Amino acid sequence: MKSRAYTYWVVVLSLFFAYLFAIVPLPEWSLNWRPEWVLLFVFYWTMALPYRIGLGFAWLAGLLLDVLEGGMLGLNALTLMLVAYIALSLHQRLRMYTPIQQSGVVLIVSLLALLLAHWLQVVTGQIVATDSAYLFAALSSAAIWPVLFSLLRSLRRGFINS
Amino acid sequence: MPACAHPAVPPLAAGLQRFRIRICVSKRAIAREVVIDKALFTKTVALEYRALALGLLSICLMFADNRFDYLGPIRYALAYTALPVYWVADLPARTSSVVDDVLISKTELVEENARLRDELLLAQRELQVMESLTSENSRLLALDEAAKTLDGEVIAAEVINQSPNPASKRVLINRGAAQGVFVGQALLAAEGLMGQVVEVMPTTSWVLLLSDPLHVTPVEVNRNGERALARGVRGASDEVELEFFTQTQDIEEGDLLISSGMGQVFPKNYPVADVIAIARDPGQDFATVRARLRVAVNSTRNVMLINPAAETVAQPAASDLEASVDTAANSQALTEQVQQ
Repeated sequence: MKSRAYTYWVVVLSLFFAYLFAIVPLPEWSLNWRPEWVLLFVFYWTMALPYRIGLGFAWLAGLLLDVLEGGMLGLNALTLMLVAYIALSLHQRLRMYTPIQQSGVVLIVSLLALLLAHWLQVVTGQIVATDSAYLFAALSSAAIWPVLFSLLRSLRRGFINS
Repeated sequence: MPACAHPAVPPLAAGLQRFRIRICVSKRAIAREVVIDKALFTKTVALEYRALALGLLSICLMFADNRFDYLGPIRYALAYTALPVYWVADLPARTSSVVDDVLISKTELVEENARLRDELLLAQRELQVMESLTSENSRLLALDEAAKTLDGEVIAAEVINQSPNPASKRVLINRGAAQGVFVGQALLAAEGLMGQVVEVMPTTSWVLLLSDPLHVTPVEVNRNGERALARGVRGASDEVELEFFTQTQDIEEGDLLISSGMGQVFPKNYPVADVIAIARDPGQDFATVRARLRVAVNSTRNVMLINPAAETVAQPAASDLEASVDTAANSQALTEQVQQ
């Protein structure tokens, strides 16, 4: 078991890549299919290290995503904090699941997060309500989860719990 | 084990003592489990309270950010932390342009050079004509400012990112407060108007594109000076739709829409969009007019910010002058306006 500060460094560096994937410009047709990278990373780290990565960490991660996207401050902070809350309360069960079963949970969690974020943006006048195509992001998030899970697990085993 | 230590242990009671120790051990184990359970129990309660507190904090933040300007300095400071991510995210585009520069062959360079020289010659010829037109136009309008519409100062900028939110059409440019960018500044590409600055950060700015459904651009038809408002179309990346355009107003497919300068944000007479479709349904109050933006908003990288110090944003006196303008004026738009 490495020190707390070391753990945070590994998690923050991995999040840097999540932010990168989240904002790297993509062709227009694929925008709705971009997985919720930061959500997936926060979900993994709260599930894997529930006593070190908590709600406050997820909240700050969401705040930085708000700044990066140039959106309303507090929007992604709220949704990611709620995602972390779900992951923390279910982490003992989630660890027993196979990656495919976890994908199902990821699908539901990211659907909820997308719906909440879209609703808040429409209510506050940030965007005009669109069709439901933005929910495809939940499908792609769930599809990429098994791969991401095994990658992040080897990262954790190699650097944090070695 | 202080709690289990017996002061005097008689030899006959050794078995009993062993039994007591065993009880003690199991009691300790139970005690440890109880402690763990307690820790878990208090943790879950704290988790809910913490979630509640952070949720309320987020709602306060959103309210403050949406309704007031309190968070301006905080956003500005937090933007510094975002810079490295933008920098890395822009690497592929920059690398590809550098690679293009390095790997280009000499013949290609020569060809490109010749082509650019031709284009420059053509542009210079047009400029000469434009100069005489400008002086003629400003004489007609008796407005010195009108001459300045054509030689305003610009700040060159590059688009380095786009909003990852599919519902919001915005781009990030690599100029910010350090270069004197301000909110409401108009962004121009080689083909026409592109958008306006909505948020300024230390060295970057967010620009709302003309095609965002929340953006309305005051335009006029170049052919006859009909004024209209062009709003971005939901779901289409490079289209605008004219609002409140009556069935009887004169517009045709292929008409060019230029900025009218109304609203004091965009400078006058810059090309905006080409009309691509008109639907006149007698049952409706207004015609549906769609136009495609001149600028390829998804692929343009080199842009300009217009510096309004040298620009006339609008000409409030123009309507008063119309009556006195000679109908033989060679500005098509002016003639049309006078005839109305």
